[in-house]
Amino acid sequence: MATSGHTWPNSQDDYELLDVIGVGATAVVHAAFCRPRGEKCAIKRINLEKWNTSMDELLKEIQAMSSCNHENVVTYYTSFVVKEELWLVLRLLEGGSLLDIIKHKMRISNCKHGVFDEATIATVLKEVLKGLEYFHQNGQIHRDIKAGNILLGDDGIVQIADFGVSAWLATGRDLSRQKVRHTFVGTPCWMAPEVMEQNHGYDFKADIWSFGITAIEMATGTAPYHKYPPMKVLMLTLQNDPPTLDTGAEEKDQYKAYGKTFRKMIFECLQKDPAKRPTATELLKHSFFKKARDRKYLVSTLVTIGPSMETRVHKASRRQPGASGRLHRMETGEWVWESEEDDDDEDDAARDRPMNTLARADSSDSDSDDRAAFTIGSLAAPATDAPQINLVLRMRNARNELNDIRFEFAAGKDSADGIATELVGAGLLDARDAGVTAQQLQRLVDDLLFAAPAPRSATFRLPSAPPEPSDEQSLLGFAQISIVD
Amino acid sequence: MPLFGKSQKSPAELVRSLKDAVTALERGDKKAEKAQEDVSKNLVLIKNMLYGTSDAEPQTDIIVAQLAQELYNTNLLLLLIQNLNRIDFEGKKDVAQVFNNVLRRQIGTRSPTVEYICTKPEILFTLMSGYEHQEIASNCGTMLRECARYEALAKIMLYSDDFYNFFRYVEVSTFDIASDAFSTFKELLTRHKMLCAEFLETNYDKVFSHYQRLLNSENYVTRRQSLKLLGELLLDRHNFSIMTRYITNPDNLKLMMNMLKEKSRNIQFEAFHVFKVFVANPNKPKPILDILLRNQDKLVDFLTKFHTDRSEDEQFNDEKAYLIKQIKELKPSEH
Repeated sequence: MATSGHTWPNSQDDYELLDVIGVGATAVVHAAFCRPRGEKCAIKRINLEKWNTSMDELLKEIQAMSSCNHENVVTYYTSFVVKEELWLVLRLLEGGSLLDIIKHKMRISNCKHGVFDEATIATVLKEVLKGLEYFHQNGQIHRDIKAGNILLGDDGIVQIADFGVSAWLATGRDLSRQKVRHTFVGTPCWMAPEVMEQNHGYDFKADIWSFGITAIEMATGTAPYHKYPPMKVLMLTLQNDPPTLDTGAEEKDQYKAYGKTFRKMIFECLQKDPAKRPTATELLKHSFFKKARDRKYLVSTLVTIGPSMETRVHKASRRQPGASGRLHRMETGEWVWESEEDDDDEDDAARDRPMNTLARADSSDSDSDDRAAFTIGSLAAPATDAPQINLVLRMRNARNELNDIRFEFAAGKDSADGIATELVGAGLLDARDAGVTAQQLQRLVDDLLFAAPAPRSATFRLPSAPPEPSDEQSLLGFAQISIVD
Repeated sequence: MPLFGKSQKSPAELVRSLKDAVTALERGDKKAEKAQEDVSKNLVLIKNMLYGTSDAEPQTDIIVAQLAQELYNTNLLLLLIQNLNRIDFEGKKDVAQVFNNVLRRQIGTRSPTVEYICTKPEILFTLMSGYEHQEIASNCGTMLRECARYEALAKIMLYSDDFYNFFRYVEVSTFDIASDAFSTFKELLTRHKMLCAEFLETNYDKVFSHYQRLLNSENYVTRRQSLKLLGELLLDRHNFSIMTRYITNPDNLKLMMNMLKEKSRNIQFEAFHVFKVFVANPNKPKPILDILLRNQDKLVDFLTKFHTDRSEDEQFNDEKAYLIKQIKELKPSEH
């Protein structure tokens, strides 16, 4: 909130952009320095040309932010237009996200039996709850509570960030002319069952579920079903009993250091029936939060051990646009998943990797984290009689790294054009390449159904690619669609 | 009937203490801090009376009717809006909530608050000028859009001189304020079809000379938003005579042709939807026809290559094909 008399300037020249600290589908976040105020801040630059939804959506979300004045909710300063970009000026939280800190701690120490002690967890979560309570009283739902969206300041302040911002970053299309198909819901591992079903809508209790998952995340380092591909997460969440601290455990008693009160608190949040979950206000009275300490404690347990700004900057700059870790659901029932690089464990055998059998041309960066996998398919309305074909589109992204985009094609139900359009809408495919991709896809699918023996893959030149360098073998300027079994 | 504790104030008492507190706040003397607190406290009490809380239902119709009547009698709504910048952050939001709730109140088909505001249009003008002040702009916007839903109130705003301030508000540098103003502006120009058409017809020259400035704005968002709204306005059948007037002016055609060639694809696309009306017009005036003829080949070529990747958008492709055909077949007029 911009308090009167302490306004932030609306001119690009008043800000010096520093390092990139985050990259999303249509936005880049910089640390920045505001010269007239002599103060640091964060600037989120949103590319409005890529933003095809009506500006009203954008406005709604910024107003959701600016109508908040609470120490546990990200502080919005101002916003203004710079050429074709919208710049959002926000408070800079130097400690980074809780996820950054979890990942860092897991790298530098043995966290097998738990990442943080209960006092740290209680302290952070109590602050998050206070933010959520304010939020809900304001009539807002966050929809994406998770460690990655909880930020820490140098002084130990805890703020909920990215509410809705992530939501509208992932949506697309023009509301007035085309039918809207993308409805953002959240990140599947943290998503409440009723949000996945989305038959009756959902309310602020959905945030309480995500809060419970975040509690597990802070103890074990990951969300319970992080090992599984998004579709599987949806199945597990809907079909199984709610997860607990031990759901992801590899050994019995692995997390025995955590006590009954903590487990009870998680249990209460993770009720499948939203009506049975406590409100944020009720939850604040839970005895688990008696263990909470003050900010200074967080400075000692989290901020000082956290990754340096430089480490995070390095990570962020390797993150590619589009790989923001979002699942969105189309109104037609399909889901689009964009994987989060942080969730990727190379040695994770349980992870669904149909591409393993195909020759992998390695990207310049050997770190597998940079290989984003995408899936487009039908979940909510599985085609029962239409044959389902699994396909992979392999191509290089803007950073010239190879990407595998996995999707399903229900013959007689999906159209090649529709899929290509969705790929464009999801920011995975250049619009100029949509036509040829649809054409190749159609041919491959037709051949599979009507020709024998059918070709299993097609490699084709991308119109959007520059003429040089060009090499079919290494997919420079080319893409390849393959059928996988 | 709910049982009241002895601390429960009647609507009249509540309105009186809120009024006293706002007046004290306005004076800004040394009691201001206490007044600030009293304003916030009483606003919450009034809000709870209207909306209820998690523990209590909203008050009965009788109580709410008394409350509304007290608000009219004391002119407290105006006083609150005039002093909005002095009220604290949460209090500002409460004022908007109270205002909107009272505004929506109905007795049968009558809306007493709408009738009241018609006799006190100052309320509307004070709200509109709220866009001048960053710290209250979005609160005022929330109330204005609620007002704009009522034709009588929309009419007062449209036909006021203050309406033309919107052309300035939609371009202010703070994005959320400019966008908020734009959505109110759009609501006023589109919500009540007959009223809007009549307004645009009567004030055609003044409105469109102002509008031209938005289309030429330095600000990308202003340009994109105003162009899109222009398309919507012209293609609305209620605005038929406005559209026919707009498409006879060659300057408008030139502007759209330039916007078709803008760098931004979104602006190109919006411009297409205005440009098409010029071409589709069966009775093109000579100046329009001359421009199209002069650029005949270039336009055909341009349109053929225009947004070819929108293969899934059937309507767009049909329209584009139609335009290309029309332009190819253009002949100099006989007379």
